[in-house]
Amino acid sequence: MIERIKDGLFGRARWFDLIEVRGVGTPISYRNNRLHTITEHNNTGFGVRVNVNGKTGFSYTNDTARLDDTAEQALALAAYGDDEDFELPARAEKTFEPYDASIQTFDAGREAAGAEDAISEIRRKFPKATVDMSISGSTSSVRIVNSKGLDVAYRSSRYSVSLSATIILDDGTRIEASDSMSALAPVSHSDLRASVIHKIEAALTPGTLPSGRVPVVLSPRAFARIIGIVTAGLSAKSVWKGISPFGDKRGAVLFNKVLTVRDDPEIPDSPYSYPFDDEGVTAVNKHLINGGRIEKFITDLKHARTLCLVPEGNGSRGYSSLPYPSYSNILIEPGSDQRDAIIGGVARGVLVEEFIGLGQSNTLTGDFSANLELAYLIENGRLNGRVKDCMLTDNLFKLLAGDMVLSRERERSGSVVAPTVLFPAVNYTG
Amino acid sequence: MRDAIDHILPRARALLSACRCEYAEVRLSASSGTTISLAGEQVETFSSGDTIGGSVRLLNNGSWGFVSFNDLSEIERHFGRGIEISSCVSAREKTRIRRCPPVRRQFSTPARKDFSRIPLEEKLSLISAYNTILKSSRLIKTTRATYRDVRSYYAILNADGSEITYDRDYCGIALTSIARDGSVIQPYSDSISGYGGFEIVEGREDMAETVAKRAVDLLAAESVPGGSYRVVADQKLAGVFIHEAFGHLSEADFVHENEQLGAIMVLGKQFGPPELSVTDSGDLPDLSGYIPVDDEGVLPRETRLIKNGLLSGRLHSRETAEKMGEEPSGNARAVSVMSQPLVRMTNTFIENGAHDRGAIIESAGDGMYAAGVIGGETNLEMFTFTAGCGYEIKNGKIGKMYRDIVLSGNVFTTLRSIEMIGNDCRMFGGLGGCGKGGQGPLPVAFGGPHILIKDVLIGGSHD
Repeated sequence: MIERIKDGLFGRARWFDLIEVRGVGTPISYRNNRLHTITEHNNTGFGVRVNVNGKTGFSYTNDTARLDDTAEQALALAAYGDDEDFELPARAEKTFEPYDASIQTFDAGREAAGAEDAISEIRRKFPKATVDMSISGSTSSVRIVNSKGLDVAYRSSRYSVSLSATIILDDGTRIEASDSMSALAPVSHSDLRASVIHKIEAALTPGTLPSGRVPVVLSPRAFARIIGIVTAGLSAKSVWKGISPFGDKRGAVLFNKVLTVRDDPEIPDSPYSYPFDDEGVTAVNKHLINGGRIEKFITDLKHARTLCLVPEGNGSRGYSSLPYPSYSNILIEPGSDQRDAIIGGVARGVLVEEFIGLGQSNTLTGDFSANLELAYLIENGRLNGRVKDCMLTDNLFKLLAGDMVLSRERERSGSVVAPTVLFPAVNYTG
Repeated sequence: MRDAIDHILPRARALLSACRCEYAEVRLSASSGTTISLAGEQVETFSSGDTIGGSVRLLNNGSWGFVSFNDLSEIERHFGRGIEISSCVSAREKTRIRRCPPVRRQFSTPARKDFSRIPLEEKLSLISAYNTILKSSRLIKTTRATYRDVRSYYAILNADGSEITYDRDYCGIALTSIARDGSVIQPYSDSISGYGGFEIVEGREDMAETVAKRAVDLLAAESVPGGSYRVVADQKLAGVFIHEAFGHLSEADFVHENEQLGAIMVLGKQFGPPELSVTDSGDLPDLSGYIPVDDEGVLPRETRLIKNGLLSGRLHSRETAEKMGEEPSGNARAVSVMSQPLVRMTNTFIENGAHDRGAIIESAGDGMYAAGVIGGETNLEMFTFTAGCGYEIKNGKIGKMYRDIVLSGNVFTTLRSIEMIGNDCRMFGGLGGCGKGGQGPLPVAFGGPHILIKDVLIGGSHD
């Protein structure tokens, strides 16, 4: 089918590319301690991008019978598109696939039994807990074909588990603790239940801290979320729009020299790895921030051309959208201190596990203001209850430029691998 | 578009009538749409496309099985897979649902100006004109002006014998200006959407002007000092507050198996002052959260969630209604046929009270007038939402402008802290929507009159 469309587009477009995405997934969902649904998703879709007289048109469908119409529609829409003058890649290196054949051993019955075990263990410890759990196995494939003769495809697999437990105390206080993991194929997830139990235990007693500037420790999960404020500004799209605070700062040292951040599409066993991006550009490991210095922006082909950057495999898209710059795995390099020693050195401060409402602030400038969904009081180097109904409000760029301590231990949270971090003075409103 | 669905309907009917499960439903949809997105001087997206999809949901021996697909020609195979996966695990506790009388209806969107007959040039010209307004100051660094329309044909058939089709036309615009002065960058956005034709998006120059002006004005505004404030929320913020802080608590799936939350959400319990009444209704055709029928084939109804300060109702699916011994309210909604229905809000609002806006601001004394909204989030106990901007209230008079107004608090204490309710209810809804359970944005509308709330936490500096 793709071949027929390809043949039909030669001679009618200056260049074109086609993307075909296929996927099958089986999520099993437990809600409120019991099996809710077993699901199967089957998805296929096609996107057609063409460039006619220097202008780009795009159309999509997930109905194979309409693929010819979709190509015609893309050609017709090119008249309204932007002038785009970039070259498509002629070849892409497939050095690996983020795929593990043992994903085929995913068995709904066995996974359900594992979920029941996890729920029982949490409820033995906290009989009032309500537990939600989701376990999913999926496989997908991406194929990119273009007018330069590129015709490449790769498979990917993903096994992911998320677990959350909620307890409402007699005074109405709600404690929710969660954790999640992902891999290329089914693996043990028993660490998650231990993590959730530990987080709840530490939150059972209340702690209070007066408003002011206080030492704040972010867990790897919290650091992984907040670093998004920085990485949003390292996208070539934000730079091109003139809204990135780093647009004219390439090569400048803006942060503490302990901060090094990479985009690494080659991490083994990560479902966020890929051999080439959705435009067929071979993906490579790159420093975004190196020793506090702004080094690179991530880009797709369009923004690489407009900003004179080298595309290194960060063009992302589904079948129904045009490419945009996106990260693979984000790695924050570790420090040398032990996590326990970092917390042990805090006389009176806060350890943050989860924010709520972090993304709503005007984060373009690094400002953030967020409630703390799950955070603990640190007193004399030890966790001493949970702080709640409180907010952190500060500027992340200033915090990352000032004193900070990173732990040697790191954890992966979604696509971000992060250490624990300590900032000595952050605005806290309680 | 209709043909692709209509010729599958007899096969879906046959599958449902032969099915021996406790309940089964088939949902099918075909849609086509156009998106034009301008960013600054660029045409960021000018695309059109079409999608087709279907799903089968079965309740089999107390367990739900759900299969989604876009190859409708294999509906029998997918239906069979649904039976297979729903029987591969035996649920310890069986799910039961409320059966309803069959509904056999055909719905369509009334549109004054059918957008499928509007030439692409005209759509581009309209959104370009708004984009020009958005750029109207030299301090505006970039803009984003998006136009979107979607025409879909939807069908739901279920084991009750219901068979409903819906020709739906939805369109809207979203407008953003991003102003910059040195290192200060301030975005401001607004959006509108609805069911109907091109008339929904025409004549919105005022909206574009306000967006551009607010973005520029915010450059000069100071960051708000953190602390506890008496807050006057405008109609839009009041709407987001009631959606986030209370509406989600009214979604019965959060309550129906959680004994502890159930013990809090007892009908008849006091949740706010006697002046406070809150309603959700999917049956308001002019608003973004309108649904002629929900995604379980139940017709929507008006649900009084709070009446005179007392909890008086909640939002249900068939499953939660059965579990709690109440009636389905027509609030089972899915973001598309490829997703399962969840209990969701539709159009949610605080009903009018007795006070004028002026009297409320005067009564606030010293406090904060918070206007517009950037976003909101709740965890069912605490909420956080961000106002578009704020103004100091001093001695009952509006003063200087503030930016970065992030309000947060405990849902229950904040509802009890409402002191005055205005008489100027307005409703809002845009191209975005509500997210829940990985499904979003689902079109909803929200609104209310101006309200005065005491002791609201606003995050800010302590320098």
